[in-house]
Amino acid sequence: MTLSSLAIALLLLIVFDSYYSGLDLTTYEKLINYETAHLKFFPLGYKEDIDNLPIENAFDPAPVLSILRADPMVKSAAPRISFRATLSNGIYQLPVVGLAVDPAQDETVFTMKQSVSQGEYLTGTEEAMVLGIEVAKDFNAGVGDTLTVLCRTKYSTFQALDLPIKGIIWSDDYAIDVNSLLINLDLAQRSLDLGNGVTEVNILLKDINQIDAFKKKYAGRFPQLELWSWKEVAEDVIAHSEGHAMMKNITFACIVLIALIGISNTILIAAFERMREIGMLAAMGMKRRQIVGLFILEGTLIGVAGSAIGCLIGFLLVAFWTTQFGFDLSFATRSWGNVGFRSMIFRGAWNVELILLAFIFGIVVSALSSIYPALIASRMEPTEALRKY
Amino acid sequence: MSVVKMENTIKNYKVGKVEVPAIRGINLSIEKGDFAAIAGPSGSGKTTMLNLFGCLDKPTGGKVFIEEHDVIKLSPDELADVRNQHIGFIFQSFNLIPVLTAFENVEFPLILLKKDGPRARRKKVMDMLASVGIADLAGRRPSEMSGGQQQRVAIARALVKNPDYVLADEPTANIDTKTGHEILDLMQAMNKNLGTTFIFSTHDPQVMGHARRLISIRDGQIESDQRM
Repeated sequence: MTLSSLAIALLLLIVFDSYYSGLDLTTYEKLINYETAHLKFFPLGYKEDIDNLPIENAFDPAPVLSILRADPMVKSAAPRISFRATLSNGIYQLPVVGLAVDPAQDETVFTMKQSVSQGEYLTGTEEAMVLGIEVAKDFNAGVGDTLTVLCRTKYSTFQALDLPIKGIIWSDDYAIDVNSLLINLDLAQRSLDLGNGVTEVNILLKDINQIDAFKKKYAGRFPQLELWSWKEVAEDVIAHSEGHAMMKNITFACIVLIALIGISNTILIAAFERMREIGMLAAMGMKRRQIVGLFILEGTLIGVAGSAIGCLIGFLLVAFWTTQFGFDLSFATRSWGNVGFRSMIFRGAWNVELILLAFIFGIVVSALSSIYPALIASRMEPTEALRKY
Repeated sequence: MSVVKMENTIKNYKVGKVEVPAIRGINLSIEKGDFAAIAGPSGSGKTTMLNLFGCLDKPTGGKVFIEEHDVIKLSPDELADVRNQHIGFIFQSFNLIPVLTAFENVEFPLILLKKDGPRARRKKVMDMLASVGIADLAGRRPSEMSGGQQQRVAIARALVKNPDYVLADEPTANIDTKTGHEILDLMQAMNKNLGTTFIFSTHDPQVMGHARRLISIRDGQIESDQRM
């Protein structure tokens, strides 16, 4: 009973944690692969006004790119322009985020091309666009249809482009699928009067753990630019993840509490069932502290066995279920809004540290919860224990 | 020479707010080698006397001496040590540890004593099991033995550490008459062969017949103390 309650608590903990870790991992992977890369150079002051996607301070990326591409820490770098636009079919209008990319360079940083579900991706020269799947659905438009892109140039004059849809992207990244249209960089620079300007340079490092070192290295290197890591750019989404972490901690605390009560209770019941035995042990000369030690030892051994079973089953579930098949939450994801992802299937992730922690925790909790029943048992007078039970 | 002695001993129990006297000023000395029965009807104070002799309880008034130890002055740990080193217990319902074999049950008090190594313990346990006639049942658990066999294991467990005296609370109450006589014969033989002092309680006249000293009590006082 004690053993099974502990084992179930731990395996639930491991499976839940695997899902929460999986959610975070999915979120971060999508962000990095579609939106943020590892780091971004923005014009100075851009971040404060990022919601408006200003283009006035667009900068020439060539000097930055040439330095970055010579840096051994950098795997690849690519410029982008993010701009506000309104998409229209003549009847309806929809505000969207325009992303202007140089496909050849962009592919080395982001994975847009692999997510084209209909039609084709941009090649760099065409006057056409690629839409997020939900944007296309909103207009009931398909590949080959033409929509009007309304935007403002650097000088705030209006610009309207009639562009055919060349491809549709299904990335499972909320911002891309629900909000975005992609056009060639060259077309955007001409249409927005930006010359050679871009609003950001995205950087993918060879090692994600080098982000801080990279930031330190480039601090103050380009006085007109500022460098932001993906976590800083996506602080909203990170806040969501921290919400997950809090949920995880609450779940963890509940499981701890249930396990503590459950274990303590079952050991207490076991102690009462064995009062006569305890009385006999006391009569034979066993000291109180020896009886306490006996119960704690028993609790600890139950903890070892229960933790081993719980962690093993949890490990197997993570290995063969959560990380392999996952949960289908497609019924809910569309209405979740931008939490960084809108995956159909959530796969769990490994958290070996937690499994080891759960094992140790199970033993400690079991040992601690046996202290109270042990004290009760040891305080029982041998005559009482022998007579009553 | 007395192994255990009561001097004007009083024991009261609290039932709610009322003090109920169980032993009312008893003076009694149990001598080495005694085979003594404490006899009396239910509620006469037999078990209370055995508990006091067994250091399981402390008197409310008067004194109880075990060897040279004044029970009232001993701490719970010291009482446990006295029980461990000087006293063997045989219970009405055997009270063997169900998960242990007969051998392990008998070995247990020796482990608590921490005097012997595993080989010496093994020899003592097997000799004791042989002397109570159940050497062949050493590997059995209590659930695989009859009541009589279990009580033999309990006797072996009480005697294996060679205590100064053995207390037995109605040792034949939970077994049939024939087996009961066998158990008492065995206790008598142990008393004769090993010189172990036995004090047992009973209200069964046939059991009293085995005793060489019969202490009758009623309402917490000694009614008679006869050597047979």
